[in-house]
Amino acid sequence: MTIWLTILGMALVTYATRVTALLTLRGELAPWLQRWLGYVPVAVFVALILPPLVLAEHNDTRVLTVGPALPAGIVGAVVAWRSGNVLLTILAGLVCFWAMRWLGM
Amino acid sequence: MASESPSVAISTPTGSTAFRAGFVDTIPLWLGVAPFGAIYAVSALTAGLSPAQTLAMSLFVFAGASQFTAAGLFAAGVAPFTIIITTLVINARHILLAAALAPFMRQASPAARAGIAFQLTDETFAVGMRRFLTSQGSPAYQFGTNLSLYCIWQASTIAGMLLGSLIPDPATYGLDLVFPLTFIGLLMPLLRDRVSGLVAALSAALTLAGALLLPGRWYILIAGLVASGIGAFLARQPHTTIAQKEKV
Repeated sequence: MTIWLTILGMALVTYATRVTALLTLRGELAPWLQRWLGYVPVAVFVALILPPLVLAEHNDTRVLTVGPALPAGIVGAVVAWRSGNVLLTILAGLVCFWAMRWLGM
Repeated sequence: MASESPSVAISTPTGSTAFRAGFVDTIPLWLGVAPFGAIYAVSALTAGLSPAQTLAMSLFVFAGASQFTAAGLFAAGVAPFTIIITTLVINARHILLAAALAPFMRQASPAARAGIAFQLTDETFAVGMRRFLTSQGSPAYQFGTNLSLYCIWQASTIAGMLLGSLIPDPATYGLDLVFPLTFIGLLMPLLRDRVSGLVAALSAALTLAGALLLPGRWYILIAGLVASGIGAFLARQPHTTIAQKEKV
Protein backbone atom coordinates (compact mmCIF):
# COMPACT_ATOMS: atom_id res chain seq x y z
CA MET A 1 0.00 0.00 0.00
CA THR A 2 2.86 2.36 0.85
CA ILE A 3 4.37 1.77 -2.58
CA TRP A 4 1.06 2.56 -4.31
CA LEU A 5 0.68 5.80 -2.33
CA THR A 6 4.26 6.75 -3.13
CA ILE A 7 3.62 6.18 -6.85
CA LEU A 8 0.46 8.32 -6.55
CA GLY A 9 2.48 11.09 -4.90
CA MET A 10 5.14 10.86 -7.61
CA ALA A 11 2.44 11.06 -10.29
CA LEU A 12 0.87 14.13 -8.67
CA VAL A 13 4.07 16.15 -8.22
CA THR A 14 5.24 15.22 -11.72
CA TYR A 15 1.94 16.26 -13.27
CA ALA A 16 2.10 19.51 -11.30
CA THR A 17 5.48 20.33 -12.93
CA ARG A 18 3.94 19.74 -16.36
CA VAL A 19 0.51 21.31 -16.09
CA THR A 20 0.92 24.41 -13.92
CA ALA A 21 2.54 26.71 -16.48
CA LEU A 22 0.34 25.42 -19.32
CA LEU A 23 -2.83 26.29 -17.42
CA THR A 24 -1.87 29.40 -15.46
CA LEU A 25 1.08 31.20 -17.08
CA ARG A 26 0.05 34.48 -18.72
CA GLY A 27 3.41 36.01 -19.54
CA GLU A 28 6.77 34.42 -18.82
CA LEU A 29 8.40 32.88 -15.78
CA ALA A 30 10.46 35.21 -13.58
CA PRO A 31 14.00 35.50 -15.05
CA TRP A 32 15.69 34.15 -11.89
CA LEU A 33 13.41 31.08 -11.94
CA GLN A 34 14.09 30.54 -15.66
CA ARG A 35 17.83 30.72 -15.04
CA TRP A 36 17.64 28.33 -12.10
CA LEU A 37 15.43 25.77 -13.85
CA GLY A 38 17.64 26.05 -16.93
CA TYR A 39 20.58 24.64 -14.99
CA VAL A 40 18.63 22.02 -13.01
CA PRO A 41 18.90 19.32 -15.74
CA VAL A 42 22.71 19.63 -15.88
CA ALA A 43 22.98 19.42 -12.08
CA VAL A 44 20.46 16.56 -11.71
CA PHE A 45 21.83 14.52 -14.62
CA VAL A 46 25.37 14.70 -13.17
CA ALA A 47 24.02 13.58 -9.77
CA LEU A 48 22.31 10.60 -11.43
CA ILE A 49 25.21 9.67 -13.74
CA LEU A 50 28.17 9.74 -11.38
CA PRO A 51 27.31 7.29 -8.54
CA PRO A 52 26.73 4.22 -10.77
CA LEU A 53 30.05 4.93 -12.50
CA VAL A 54 32.40 5.57 -9.59
CA LEU A 55 30.77 4.32 -6.38
CA ALA A 56 30.31 0.82 -4.99
CA GLU A 57 28.10 -0.04 -2.02
CA HIS A 58 29.34 -2.38 0.66
CA ASN A 59 26.83 -2.95 3.49
CA ASP A 60 25.36 0.53 3.62
CA THR A 61 28.63 2.38 3.10
CA ARG A 62 29.69 3.76 -0.25
CA VAL A 63 33.28 3.74 -1.45
CA LEU A 64 35.00 5.21 -4.51
CA THR A 65 35.80 2.48 -6.98
CA VAL A 66 37.30 2.19 -10.45
CA GLY A 67 35.83 -0.64 -12.51
CA PRO A 68 34.71 -1.17 -16.10
CA ALA A 69 31.77 1.20 -15.55
CA LEU A 70 33.98 4.32 -15.45
CA PRO A 71 35.72 3.84 -18.82
CA ALA A 72 32.35 2.84 -20.29
CA GLY A 73 30.95 6.16 -19.07
CA ILE A 74 33.90 8.11 -20.46
CA VAL A 75 33.58 6.44 -23.87
CA GLY A 76 29.85 7.16 -23.76
CA ALA A 77 30.56 10.81 -22.95
CA VAL A 78 32.94 11.20 -25.90
CA VAL A 79 30.41 9.59 -28.26
CA ALA A 80 27.60 11.75 -26.87
CA TRP A 81 29.75 14.86 -27.27
CA ARG A 82 30.56 14.06 -30.91
CA SER A 83 27.23 12.58 -32.04
CA GLY A 84 24.55 13.92 -29.71
CA ASN A 85 22.87 10.53 -30.23
CA VAL A 86 21.54 8.72 -27.15
CA LEU A 87 21.31 5.27 -28.74
CA LEU A 88 24.92 5.46 -30.05
CA THR A 89 26.01 6.58 -26.59
CA ILE A 90 24.39 3.56 -24.94
CA LEU A 91 25.85 1.14 -27.50
CA ALA A 92 29.38 2.60 -27.30
CA GLY A 93 29.34 2.47 -23.49
CA LEU A 94 28.10 -1.13 -23.41
CA VAL A 95 30.63 -2.28 -26.03
CA CYS A 96 33.39 -0.69 -23.94
CA PHE A 97 32.05 -2.45 -20.82
CA TRP A 98 31.93 -5.83 -22.57
CA ALA A 99 35.45 -5.32 -23.98
CA MET A 100 36.81 -4.54 -20.51
CA ARG A 101 35.09 -7.63 -19.13
CA TRP A 102 36.43 -9.77 -21.97
CA LEU A 103 39.94 -8.48 -21.26
CA GLY A 104 39.45 -9.51 -17.65
CA MET A 105 39.43 -6.01 -16.15
CA MET B 1 11.50 16.09 -38.99
CA ALA B 2 12.58 14.52 -42.26
CA SER B 3 9.47 12.43 -42.76
CA GLU B 4 7.09 15.36 -43.09
CA SER B 5 5.30 15.50 -46.42
CA PRO B 6 5.16 18.85 -48.26
CA SER B 7 1.36 18.85 -48.26
CA VAL B 8 1.28 18.77 -44.48
CA ALA B 9 3.84 21.55 -44.26
CA ILE B 10 2.12 23.90 -46.69
CA SER B 11 -1.56 23.54 -45.93
CA THR B 12 -2.92 24.32 -42.51
CA PRO B 13 -3.03 20.83 -41.11
CA THR B 14 -6.29 19.56 -39.80
CA GLY B 15 -6.25 18.20 -36.28
CA SER B 16 -6.00 14.55 -37.22
CA THR B 17 -3.34 15.13 -39.93
CA ALA B 18 -1.20 17.11 -37.51
CA PHE B 19 -1.74 14.51 -34.81
CA ARG B 20 -0.63 11.73 -37.13
CA ALA B 21 2.41 13.74 -38.30
CA GLY B 22 3.46 14.31 -34.68
CA PHE B 23 3.10 10.63 -33.90
CA VAL B 24 5.08 9.51 -36.97
CA ASP B 25 7.81 12.15 -36.61
CA THR B 26 8.57 10.77 -33.15
CA ILE B 27 9.04 7.15 -34.22
CA PRO B 28 12.80 7.65 -34.89
CA LEU B 29 13.17 8.49 -31.19
CA TRP B 30 11.73 5.13 -30.14
CA LEU B 31 15.06 3.32 -30.57
CA GLY B 32 16.78 5.61 -28.06
CA VAL B 33 13.98 5.40 -25.49
CA ALA B 34 13.11 1.69 -25.63
CA PRO B 35 16.28 0.34 -23.96
CA PHE B 36 15.80 2.82 -21.13
CA GLY B 37 12.18 1.77 -20.59
CA ALA B 38 13.13 -1.90 -20.56
CA ILE B 39 15.96 -1.37 -18.09
CA TYR B 40 13.66 0.70 -15.88
CA ALA B 41 11.24 -2.24 -15.71
CA VAL B 42 14.02 -4.68 -14.86
CA SER B 43 15.35 -2.46 -12.07
CA ALA B 44 11.85 -1.78 -10.66
CA LEU B 45 11.11 -5.51 -10.43
CA THR B 46 14.54 -6.11 -8.90
CA ALA B 47 13.74 -3.39 -6.35
CA GLY B 48 10.73 -5.41 -5.23
CA LEU B 49 7.91 -3.61 -7.03
CA SER B 50 5.13 -5.80 -8.39
CA PRO B 51 4.56 -5.93 -12.17
CA ALA B 52 1.38 -3.87 -11.68
CA GLN B 53 3.29 -1.20 -9.72
CA THR B 54 6.11 -1.19 -12.27
CA LEU B 55 3.65 -0.58 -15.11
CA ALA B 56 1.56 1.89 -13.08
CA MET B 57 4.61 4.09 -12.59
CA SER B 58 5.20 4.17 -16.36
CA LEU B 59 1.51 4.87 -17.00
CA PHE B 60 0.98 7.60 -14.42
CA VAL B 61 4.38 9.17 -13.71
CA PHE B 62 5.84 8.75 -17.24
CA ALA B 63 9.20 10.37 -16.46
CA GLY B 64 12.13 8.03 -16.99
CA ALA B 65 14.81 9.62 -14.82
CA SER B 66 12.57 9.85 -11.77
CA GLN B 67 11.09 6.38 -12.32
CA PHE B 68 14.52 4.80 -12.50
CA THR B 69 15.75 6.77 -9.49
CA ALA B 70 12.62 5.84 -7.52
CA ALA B 71 13.29 2.16 -8.22
CA GLY B 72 16.71 2.59 -6.64
CA LEU B 73 15.21 4.47 -3.69
CA PHE B 74 12.55 1.78 -3.15
CA ALA B 75 15.31 -0.85 -3.18
CA ALA B 76 17.24 1.15 -0.57
CA GLY B 77 14.16 1.43 1.66
CA VAL B 78 14.02 5.21 1.48
CA ALA B 79 11.01 6.97 3.08
CA PRO B 80 8.07 7.69 0.70
CA PHE B 81 8.21 11.44 1.36
CA THR B 82 11.87 11.55 0.31
CA ILE B 83 11.08 9.60 -2.86
CA ILE B 84 8.31 12.07 -3.75
CA ILE B 85 10.47 15.16 -3.08
CA THR B 86 13.35 13.67 -5.08
CA THR B 87 10.88 13.04 -7.93
CA LEU B 88 9.80 16.67 -7.76
CA VAL B 89 13.37 17.96 -8.05
CA ILE B 90 14.30 15.60 -10.90
CA ASN B 91 11.16 16.62 -12.80
CA ALA B 92 11.30 20.34 -11.97
CA ARG B 93 12.74 20.90 -15.44
CA HIS B 94 9.25 20.23 -16.85
CA ILE B 95 8.18 23.63 -15.46
CA LEU B 96 10.53 25.25 -17.96
CA LEU B 97 9.34 23.10 -20.85
CA ALA B 98 5.69 23.84 -20.06
CA ALA B 99 6.39 27.57 -19.70
CA ALA B 100 8.12 27.67 -23.10
CA LEU B 101 5.23 25.78 -24.67
CA ALA B 102 2.48 27.83 -23.01
CA PRO B 103 2.38 30.72 -25.54
CA PHE B 104 1.75 28.25 -28.40
CA MET B 105 -0.96 26.42 -26.50
CA ARG B 106 -3.29 29.31 -25.69
CA GLN B 107 -5.49 28.44 -28.68
CA ALA B 108 -6.28 25.08 -27.07
CA SER B 109 -8.99 24.61 -24.44
CA PRO B 110 -7.92 24.23 -20.80
CA ALA B 111 -8.98 20.55 -20.93
CA ALA B 112 -6.81 19.96 -24.01
CA ARG B 113 -3.88 21.73 -22.36
CA ALA B 114 -4.31 19.64 -19.21
CA GLY B 115 -4.32 16.49 -21.35
CA ILE B 116 -1.26 17.48 -23.39
CA ALA B 117 0.62 18.36 -20.19
CA PHE B 118 0.21 14.84 -18.84
CA GLN B 119 2.58 13.38 -21.47
CA LEU B 120 5.02 16.27 -21.86
CA THR B 121 8.65 15.08 -21.93
CA ASP B 122 12.04 16.50 -22.89
CA GLU B 123 12.06 14.54 -26.14
CA THR B 124 8.57 15.43 -27.37
CA PHE B 125 8.99 19.03 -26.24
CA ALA B 126 11.98 19.23 -28.60
CA VAL B 127 10.00 17.66 -31.47
CA GLY B 128 6.95 19.86 -30.94
CA MET B 129 8.93 23.07 -30.42
CA ARG B 130 10.83 22.57 -33.65
CA ARG B 131 7.45 22.66 -35.39
CA PHE B 132 6.16 25.66 -33.46
CA LEU B 133 9.30 27.68 -34.26
CA THR B 134 8.68 27.19 -37.99
CA SER B 135 5.02 28.16 -37.47
CA GLN B 136 3.81 24.68 -38.43
CA GLY B 137 3.18 23.44 -34.92
CA SER B 138 -0.17 22.89 -33.29
CA PRO B 139 -1.54 21.42 -30.08
CA ALA B 140 -2.67 18.38 -32.12
CA TYR B 141 0.88 17.87 -33.40
CA GLN B 142 2.22 18.17 -29.85
CA PHE B 143 -0.33 15.63 -28.65
CA GLY B 144 0.70 13.26 -31.46
CA THR B 145 4.39 13.37 -30.55
CA ASN B 146 3.58 13.06 -26.84
CA LEU B 147 1.34 10.03 -27.34
CA SER B 148 3.92 8.41 -29.62
CA LEU B 149 6.56 8.46 -26.89
CA TYR B 150 3.99 7.41 -24.30
CA CYS B 151 3.17 4.30 -26.35
CA ILE B 152 6.79 3.20 -26.75
CA TRP B 153 7.43 3.86 -23.05
CA GLN B 154 4.59 1.50 -22.04
CA ALA B 155 5.59 -1.09 -24.64
CA SER B 156 9.24 -1.07 -23.55
CA THR B 157 8.22 -1.25 -19.88
CA ILE B 158 6.19 -4.38 -20.63
CA ALA B 159 9.00 -5.81 -22.77
CA GLY B 160 11.44 -5.17 -19.93
CA MET B 161 9.17 -6.98 -17.47
CA LEU B 162 9.00 -10.02 -19.78
CA LEU B 163 12.73 -10.00 -20.62
CA GLY B 164 13.71 -9.28 -17.04
CA SER B 165 12.57 -12.72 -15.93
CA LEU B 166 14.93 -14.23 -18.53
CA ILE B 167 17.98 -12.24 -17.36
CA PRO B 168 18.65 -13.16 -13.73
CA ASP B 169 21.44 -10.63 -13.12
CA PRO B 170 21.40 -7.67 -15.55
CA ALA B 171 24.51 -6.16 -13.94
CA THR B 172 26.63 -9.05 -15.26
CA TYR B 173 25.97 -7.82 -18.78
CA GLY B 174 26.45 -4.19 -17.83
CA LEU B 175 22.78 -3.53 -18.58
CA ASP B 176 22.46 -1.39 -15.46
CA LEU B 177 24.78 1.02 -17.27
CA VAL B 178 21.98 1.87 -19.72
CA PHE B 179 20.67 4.30 -17.11
CA PRO B 180 23.81 6.46 -16.66
CA LEU B 181 24.65 6.14 -20.37
CA THR B 182 21.23 7.47 -21.35
CA PHE B 183 21.77 10.50 -19.16
CA ILE B 184 25.29 11.01 -20.46
CA GLY B 185 23.67 11.16 -23.90
CA LEU B 186 21.24 13.83 -22.70
CA LEU B 187 23.80 15.76 -20.61
CA MET B 188 26.66 16.29 -23.08
CA PRO B 189 24.70 18.45 -25.55
CA LEU B 190 23.75 20.72 -22.62
CA LEU B 191 27.39 21.48 -21.77
CA ARG B 192 27.87 24.15 -24.41
CA ASP B 193 28.71 27.18 -22.25
CA ARG B 194 31.07 27.91 -19.36
CA VAL B 195 28.43 28.20 -16.68
CA SER B 196 26.93 24.81 -17.62
CA GLY B 197 30.35 23.22 -17.32
CA LEU B 198 30.81 24.88 -13.96
CA VAL B 199 27.39 23.66 -12.76
CA ALA B 200 28.33 20.12 -13.86
CA ALA B 201 31.65 20.25 -11.99
CA LEU B 202 29.99 21.68 -8.88
CA SER B 203 27.26 19.06 -9.02
CA ALA B 204 29.88 16.32 -9.39
CA ALA B 205 31.70 17.53 -6.27
CA LEU B 206 28.48 17.83 -4.27
CA THR B 207 27.28 14.42 -5.49
CA LEU B 208 30.48 12.64 -4.47
CA ALA B 209 30.74 14.44 -1.12
CA GLY B 210 27.06 13.87 -0.40
CA ALA B 211 27.08 10.23 -1.46
CA LEU B 212 30.19 9.45 0.59
CA LEU B 213 29.39 11.49 3.71
CA LEU B 214 25.59 11.52 4.02
CA PRO B 215 23.20 8.59 4.44
CA GLY B 216 20.48 7.91 1.87
CA ARG B 217 20.22 9.72 -1.44
CA TRP B 218 20.08 13.32 -0.26
CA TYR B 219 22.93 14.11 -2.61
CA ILE B 220 20.47 14.17 -5.56
CA LEU B 221 18.48 16.99 -3.96
CA ILE B 222 21.54 18.87 -2.68
CA ALA B 223 23.53 18.67 -5.92
CA GLY B 224 20.45 19.24 -8.09
CA LEU B 225 19.29 22.38 -6.30
CA VAL B 226 22.53 23.94 -5.03
CA ALA B 227 24.69 23.51 -8.14
CA SER B 228 21.94 24.84 -10.42
CA GLY B 229 21.20 27.70 -8.01
CA ILE B 230 24.85 28.78 -7.96
CA GLY B 231 24.94 28.52 -11.75
CA ALA B 232 21.90 30.79 -12.02
CA PHE B 233 23.54 33.24 -9.62
CA LEU B 234 26.79 33.27 -11.60
CA ALA B 235 25.14 33.75 -14.97
CA ARG B 236 25.34 37.54 -15.38
CA GLN B 237 23.39 37.52 -18.61
CA PRO B 238 20.01 35.84 -18.38
CA HIS B 239 20.22 32.27 -19.58
CA THR B 240 18.80 32.28 -23.11
CA THR B 241 15.78 30.05 -22.89
CA ILE B 242 13.74 28.60 -25.69
CA ALA B 243 10.92 30.91 -24.64
CA GLN B 244 13.16 33.92 -25.29
CA LYS B 245 14.62 32.61 -28.55
CA GLU B 246 11.14 32.05 -29.85
CA LYS B 247 10.42 35.78 -29.65
CA VAL B 248 13.38 36.71 -31.85
